[in-house]
Amino acid sequence: MSRSSLWLSLFVLALPFTGVAFLIHETVGFDWSELNDAAWRASLTVTLYVTIVSTVISLVIGTWLARSVYRRRSTWLASLLRWPMFVPHVAAAYLFYVLFSGGFPFYGLVEANERHHLVVILTYVWKEVPFVFLMVIGTYAQLNRGYVDMAKTLQLTPFEQFKVAEWPFLVKPLLDSFWVLVAFISFAYEVPALLGVTFPELLGVLAYERLTTGLFLNAYESYAVALIWTLFIFIGVIGSYAVTAKRRRRIERGVRR
Amino acid sequence: MSRLLVAGLILFPFIGLVLAFPARFDWDEAIGNTVVYVIVLGFVNVWLGIGTAWWLMFTDSKWKTPVEWFTFLPLFIPVLASMFGMYIALAPLGLVGTHIGVGLVLLVTTLPYSIRLAYNAMYVIGRPLLEQTLTLAPWSRFGLVLFPLLKETIRTIVLFSTVIVLSQFVLVQLMGAGLIPTVTTQIYQAYAGNDVSLALQNTWVLILVPVLLYVGLGGLFGIWIRLVKGRLQ
Repeated sequence: MSRSSLWLSLFVLALPFTGVAFLIHETVGFDWSELNDAAWRASLTVTLYVTIVSTVISLVIGTWLARSVYRRRSTWLASLLRWPMFVPHVAAAYLFYVLFSGGFPFYGLVEANERHHLVVILTYVWKEVPFVFLMVIGTYAQLNRGYVDMAKTLQLTPFEQFKVAEWPFLVKPLLDSFWVLVAFISFAYEVPALLGVTFPELLGVLAYERLTTGLFLNAYESYAVALIWTLFIFIGVIGSYAVTAKRRRRIERGVRR
Repeated sequence: MSRLLVAGLILFPFIGLVLAFPARFDWDEAIGNTVVYVIVLGFVNVWLGIGTAWWLMFTDSKWKTPVEWFTFLPLFIPVLASMFGMYIALAPLGLVGTHIGVGLVLLVTTLPYSIRLAYNAMYVIGRPLLEQTLTLAPWSRFGLVLFPLLKETIRTIVLFSTVIVLSQFVLVQLMGAGLIPTVTTQIYQAYAGNDVSLALQNTWVLILVPVLLYVGLGGLFGIWIRLVKGRLQ
């Protein structure tokens, strides 16, 4: 049974790679200078800003909450963090839209559909913090408390305790989470389409709009951007995993039981 | 006090749900399609996720590491970007505008998470305990041992796949060629057309489907566990 499941899974998961191969095929002969227009340039800047800010805030808060649950055994917090996981991104975007688009107390202070994309970032942080929490809490559950106790015995400062007794074990889940979130947030349509602005648009929104408007006349631009962005993320993934490989292997061998 | 503050920050977006209730609630084709996709994809994700994780857990093959990477790497490909490529690849096969095409691309998006969740759960349970089940027939192995051990993981896989499926607008719109309505595709039309009542109804459906499925599965699994425990007496 497991072998047939494996083959089916491999067949299904070959599709995204096939997709990337087709993107490469479609962009052969594409005039790349077409991407050098104001809309794409502005889109790249705003996409990097939204992606980096949302991802870093989610990683920091998610790790901090997992640490709190680990140290204080706060089961109430772990159960509470399940709530946002029941809400699909598109529904979360609509809830934030209802709250921030008018009438409610937040109106004027932070607003939906404004050029700083604060509500887009807020929506992503709300949705991704539980994801980071889940990725990190597993590591904390397996963490040997002896390291923390040793750091305390040596009278290290709280920051140094975290640095030597916890951080080395968090590198892998945080690296995984970072790239999953970057891949997810940077080239998405659903949330920024509802909460963003018409200029500058995030890459995913602009690519989808260029693809589907005007009888697919600008489709090659979207294919080219999708390809570049996928390769950019792949290079980042491979580079960061290669740089941390030695350290991660040492940690994995150390905690294996 | 700090607990209240944290709880408030986590729960405050739900205020949006109760600010205004939908004026009406109509069962339509979009809700029907959505429910069918969620159920079918939940089932397929559990089946393929657990089956593949089982192979990864027990294999001594030299292909284990490449397969692990192959099942993990799709998480790092932006969904929309790979969708553009899959659209070009699947269009000549006549899968655009069909339920199979839409189901396939939704499965591509959800399966890597399911395999990872199942593998992590099996890793925590440990190979020695799982090895004890190898002497049982496949259905007894699954029904009497694996299912009770993995019931929370199965619920989580179904929850993850449901929430991801419900989040997809572009995938369904592009692969469905606009012919296959779901609650998610409808919400953008309702939003663009300022039909607040329909948008609210769809938001309620998008949140209620995962909640009901999660709670319902919890109840059903509880009954099965009681039946299995009854065999011990």
